[in-house]
Amino acid sequence: MTVANREELLADTFVQLADTLVDDFDIIELLTMLSGRCVELLDASATGILLADVHRSLHVVAASSEAVNLLELFQIQNSEGPCLDAFRTGKAVVHGNLGDASPWPAFGRKAIEAGLPSVHAFPMRVRDTVLGTLNLFMAEAGPLADADVTVAQALAHAATIALLQDRAASDANRLSAQLQGALNSRVSIEQAKGAIAERAGVGMDEAFARLRSYARDHNAKLTDVAEAVVSRTLPAPQIAILLGDHDWEPDPAA
Amino acid sequence: MELAVQMTTTHERWLRIATALGEREGPEPTPAGMCLAAEDLLGAVGAGIVVMAEGVPGATFVSNPLAATLEELQFTLGSGPRVDAHTGGIPIRENDLGAVSAQRWVDFSGPAVEAGAGAVFSFPLRLGAARLGALTVYRAQPGPLASDVYADALVLAEVVTRALLAGQAGLGGASLAVGIGEERAFDARVHQASGMVSVQLEVGVGEALARLRARAFAEGIALAVIAAEVVALRLRFDDR
Repeated sequence: MTVANREELLADTFVQLADTLVDDFDIIELLTMLSGRCVELLDASATGILLADVHRSLHVVAASSEAVNLLELFQIQNSEGPCLDAFRTGKAVVHGNLGDASPWPAFGRKAIEAGLPSVHAFPMRVRDTVLGTLNLFMAEAGPLADADVTVAQALAHAATIALLQDRAASDANRLSAQLQGALNSRVSIEQAKGAIAERAGVGMDEAFARLRSYARDHNAKLTDVAEAVVSRTLPAPQIAILLGDHDWEPDPAA
Repeated sequence: MELAVQMTTTHERWLRIATALGEREGPEPTPAGMCLAAEDLLGAVGAGIVVMAEGVPGATFVSNPLAATLEELQFTLGSGPRVDAHTGGIPIRENDLGAVSAQRWVDFSGPAVEAGAGAVFSFPLRLGAARLGALTVYRAQPGPLASDVYADALVLAEVVTRALLAGQAGLGGASLAVGIGEERAFDARVHQASGMVSVQLEVGVGEALARLRARAFAEGIALAVIAAEVVALRLRFDDR
């Protein structure tokens, strides 16, 4: 990506973030958009976003690929990894090569196995409170350029502001309900990926790509499309698009 | 390991609520039994569960006459907290049914106060895109639920959802506890497998999850392992 292209995309990302704040916005929608943009802007192979609930338990709320979905879950279940360190300390963890003696040997092995030998985790932090982390997974080992660190941290801050905006005037009960709603959105998306994968005979990453591009092309919310797929309330032509069946024709008998 | 300690909190709450329900109502709680438990656990004067069928209220269960009156009223009006909770998929709170904000349900709030309800809380019964209905609790005094009680209520709604799904799939309560850890830790594969099995069997995604759980229970294998086999295309639930 050229510098000019990147600046344009970055500016556009911030505009989109700002736009979401005025509509009735869906956290999952926002974070999924952000994780996709990080891949483009930072040459990351994939990104993941973790958010904490009121009990400070972490949950995977966005992942741009299946491999990252599993790597994030692995960290949470084993209570070790760069993303957890960034969450605990509130400081960015920039780790260029998991093959070197890493503080997280089990996680390092898994990540390398998945073809992601380098991980960088950025806290989504406001003063002393860390709400979650934005994590970049790289296909090649090596340091992250200073300019990229700045961009990544700026994106993490922007996401934090969006979250806080949504949490303003919120009490603990609303926060619990909000996170539960976000997790339900995630469940819907995973269910829809499974349904599309099964019907179209494609993998989960491809199923997710179709779901996302369908939502984007139809200016619809990802979670709404996911729910419609799972509950089978999308009309047949729309289903055909999601299944990648471009030859679909209306059944003359129907 | 501060985090590890804190991370068990939500799970512990789950175990506590599920255990309390089991002790009260046995391993296969009926919907009416769950209403009684909800009333008790959440300090309410009444509780109701509505199960939707094809977009309309299919069955209603209640703990007592007060809940029966107010659930019936919402059925008649087609509006009210339980309707908003189900259609919106988010919890609905009205701390004071006598307040101006309660006028959003113009024909419901007045009669609710007359019937003896000062506050109402309604929780959607859903697991992702599987939306079953709502659990509604009525409290005598206006005022918010303490955050601990509210957290209990969210968990209870999850427990009720799973019990209803198991019941709808004709599965015993014993399979109910299987795989809760994997689901709660958000193992994406569990939900992806549910989506796949729902297509294979042409059933709802909730029933598909119940089938996966029953299979795990019957074979004594973790739900996550069964789900991973399905996602890896090594296990199918239809005969193909």
